[in-house]
Amino acid sequence: MTVKVLFFGVLAEVTGTNCRHYSEVKSLSDLKQLISDEFPEIVHYDFLISVNNELIDNEPSLKDDDEVAFMPPFAGG
Amino acid sequence: MLNNYLTEGPVTIKDISVSLERMSDKQGAGGHSVFLGQVRADVINGKRVKAIQYSAYETLVKAEADKIVNEIFSEFSDAQSVDIIHSTGTVNIGELSLFVLVSAGHRQHAIEACAKTVEMIKERLPVWKREIFEDDSHIWRQNH
Repeated sequence: MTVKVLFFGVLAEVTGTNCRHYSEVKSLSDLKQLISDEFPEIVHYDFLISVNNELIDNEPSLKDDDEVAFMPPFAGG
Repeated sequence: MLNNYLTEGPVTIKDISVSLERMSDKQGAGGHSVFLGQVRADVINGKRVKAIQYSAYETLVKAEADKIVNEIFSEFSDAQSVDIIHSTGTVNIGELSLFVLVSAGHRQHAIEACAKTVEMIKERLPVWKREIFEDDSHIWRQNH
């Protein structure tokens, strides 16, 4: 499946991109591995993940065209 | 109540006055409590901040801010209105980056609900900030 990945905050700076599409993704774990293979320095940063605007704390199944966001700790206010 | 929660650049006096003018319709309100967040001229490791650049996950901000507003209405039964405006983009020192207005039937609820809204924003809103120094270098800041 193909998913759209968004990077925010320092992660956008580290990866050099705000948005990237990954195809042939099998699972969220698979996606995380693909991303860390491409951007090894990302493992040094804490982040939260959301899928389709819902924060997740487990490993949900992904489907085609899902939007997955990698977000550093928030800094609003 | 505002529905988009974000503004490009600093929160302006016009933004604030538009929000306050709408409060005259809230005939159940006896008090309005306002919080204004401002960019502070911090000095970090000898370098002075000149601005903050904010970025946000806009669709998640809308979803999460809606939840925050609904939780405030649930907790404070006489809350009449909750307005939130958070900056995106560049805000210079001395300019405003956050506006929260809570109207309630009674002043204590307005004050408490406003304070709680600010804390919930800081904890839960998907917004990020880079502090820009006078030499144009920057650091990323986080709340926790």
